[in-house]
Amino acid sequence: MDTTIFLQLIVSGLLIGFVFSLIAVGLTLIWGVMDILNFAHGDFLMLAMFSSFLMFANLGLDPLLSLPMVVALLFMVGLLTFRWVIRPVLGYPGLIALLATFGLSIFIRNLVLFFVGPNYRVINQSILAGKNFSMLGLHFSLSQTMSAIGCVLITSAVYLLIARTKFGRSLRATSLDKDTALLMGINTNRVFALTFGLGAACVGFAGGMLSNFYPIFPEVGLNFAIMSFVIVALGGFGNISGAFLAGIFVGLVENVGGFLIGPEFKYTLVFVLYLIVISMRPKGLFGW
Amino acid sequence: MKRGLVLFFGLILLLGFSPAVHAADPIEIALLYPLTGPLADPGSRAKAACDVAAEIINGSYDLPGIPYSKTQGIPNKGGAKIVRKYYDTQGSPEVGKAETERILQEGKAKLIIGAYQSSVTKPTSFVAERQKFPYLCAESSSAALTERGLKYFFRIAPTDYHDTVMFFQFLNDMKKEGKKVSKIAMVYEKTEFGFHANEEVKKAVAKSNGAYQIVADIPYEFKATDVNAEVLKVKAAQPDVVLHATQFSEMMLFAKAYESLGVKVPANLSFCGGYQNPVFAKELGKTVENYMGSCTFAEDFIAKKAQLKVLNDMFKAKVKSNLDGVAMEALTSVFVAADAFNRAKDLSPDAVRDALATTELQIATLPGKGVKFDESGQNIWIDSTMSQVVGGDYKVVWPAEWATAKTVWPMKP
Repeated sequence: MDTTIFLQLIVSGLLIGFVFSLIAVGLTLIWGVMDILNFAHGDFLMLAMFSSFLMFANLGLDPLLSLPMVVALLFMVGLLTFRWVIRPVLGYPGLIALLATFGLSIFIRNLVLFFVGPNYRVINQSILAGKNFSMLGLHFSLSQTMSAIGCVLITSAVYLLIARTKFGRSLRATSLDKDTALLMGINTNRVFALTFGLGAACVGFAGGMLSNFYPIFPEVGLNFAIMSFVIVALGGFGNISGAFLAGIFVGLVENVGGFLIGPEFKYTLVFVLYLIVISMRPKGLFGW
Repeated sequence: MKRGLVLFFGLILLLGFSPAVHAADPIEIALLYPLTGPLADPGSRAKAACDVAAEIINGSYDLPGIPYSKTQGIPNKGGAKIVRKYYDTQGSPEVGKAETERILQEGKAKLIIGAYQSSVTKPTSFVAERQKFPYLCAESSSAALTERGLKYFFRIAPTDYHDTVMFFQFLNDMKKEGKKVSKIAMVYEKTEFGFHANEEVKKAVAKSNGAYQIVADIPYEFKATDVNAEVLKVKAAQPDVVLHATQFSEMMLFAKAYESLGVKVPANLSFCGGYQNPVFAKELGKTVENYMGSCTFAEDFIAKKAQLKVLNDMFKAKVKSNLDGVAMEALTSVFVAADAFNRAKDLSPDAVRDALATTELQIATLPGKGVKFDESGQNIWIDSTMSQVVGGDYKVVWPAEWATAKTVWPMKP
């Protein structure tokens, strides 16, 4: 194989892998702290992309400029989801919360379909759109590169927030043992709410960046949600660095494996690897 | 006094049975389309097109070349109005089958029109065939659909076979003009649509006695999140032309990936699908400049047939974009249904089926003479044309009788 093409595959795998990582980080954060798999995660991504588009179409705001607002909006969506959907079912068997998020997913998707319609939307006149550059014979899309860089930065920031701050310690404590954390004076409901908000904000950032180069339609989140479930399981449920590395791994397998074995098998490859990993390490590559 | 009463009641009885007062029962058509799910956009466009057709048939419009536009309802059925009932397949063959069963159990519809995707049309039409119920397919393109020996299945759109024949005639013409065309890359989704388009291209290449070779055969997963590996496969093969059988969201990813990865192929041709959606040309702008594809309707058809402007305006009022080939095929299907109802001796499934089988409807909505089905149920009066994106609009570039612009080959970088 041509070396340039091989390197281009690695670069492409990394670029999409970083975006997968941030989406999965949001999901794994919620799982790690609350033991809840948020089925509406992909729909949060779609909401972020539509928010970005609507601000672009109605207010003329470039997706880069509207990004902080999209992140804040999704943070609020996360908080409200916790308050109205998750909190009422906390303390009941986990399946109930899972079904609640599943219902929420269908509700959000159909709500968007009803109010905004099924049409495909495209943001093609943003600061980043349509700009490409070459380096060492490799080609880069500016929007994808900036998205990947942004996703790495946000993932690192989330990691530092959890590893180095007082909030992070209370989050980890709640994750390890909710009852003991309560005894230590941690407001666990507040931690849960902020965790849900933070998880949604992560996917909000990824969605805001994706809107620069991805078609926007009500079903768009589903494609990414399935991939992020695999990434979370591969990296180990609740493990942020695991989700980050697994995201990159999946991006590389999709691109390099897809090229070498055949693009028609690229998702098969990802799922085969996933099955192998969980059969050998049921808690994922970095789970404990 | 007695005579006056008899006259009065006689008049009432007469008026009661008069067709003008006792309106004919409406005729229901069941329409199977993906109204939610990943293909909700083309599904809702097809729905809007069918609504336009029904409005025209039920109302009175002065549209030369469009039958049943003036007559207000179905003339031979007492002016009966067409009623549409939509069923959502969600883009899933299983849901489509369940919805078809529901249509048949409800027993109100006189005909099924559906179902956009070949992969949904195939099983749903089998369900209808089992119940000996007429099924009219507007837009599914898999040639295999009309190769199953079904008696109650009819299709209006040209098939992948017709598009392939047209593509190769076009490529032959390009060769005659001195363009270098021999290496073909085939990129297709792993669905009924993609597989059959690929089969037809392979057959055409095999018949070409070495004039063409397939240098890359690239199937990919429908609903892909990323297509860089596929595009780099195309790049590695260095084809003269890439043929796509791709839906909209992936087509957009492909277009962006070709651009960002610096892949320059002289020509990019698409089977019907995502390429035809007007959003593709309008929103992607320079990224898709000079892309080409088969089409049964482009906006500049209006220059050739002025009555199409009315249809396009009515459609645009509903979905805020122009008609495309797929929507126009859906629109035509309702006129074909109206024609079959008009000629059928009654509205039983067999009578409607027999009327469909003998359809000879001249209609100005599509290129070609109109609609006439052969024994397999395929429309043999339809032509397809080749359009190219020029300055954000679709221009018909081939064949010459329909062309409004010259082909740009190779595509502008």
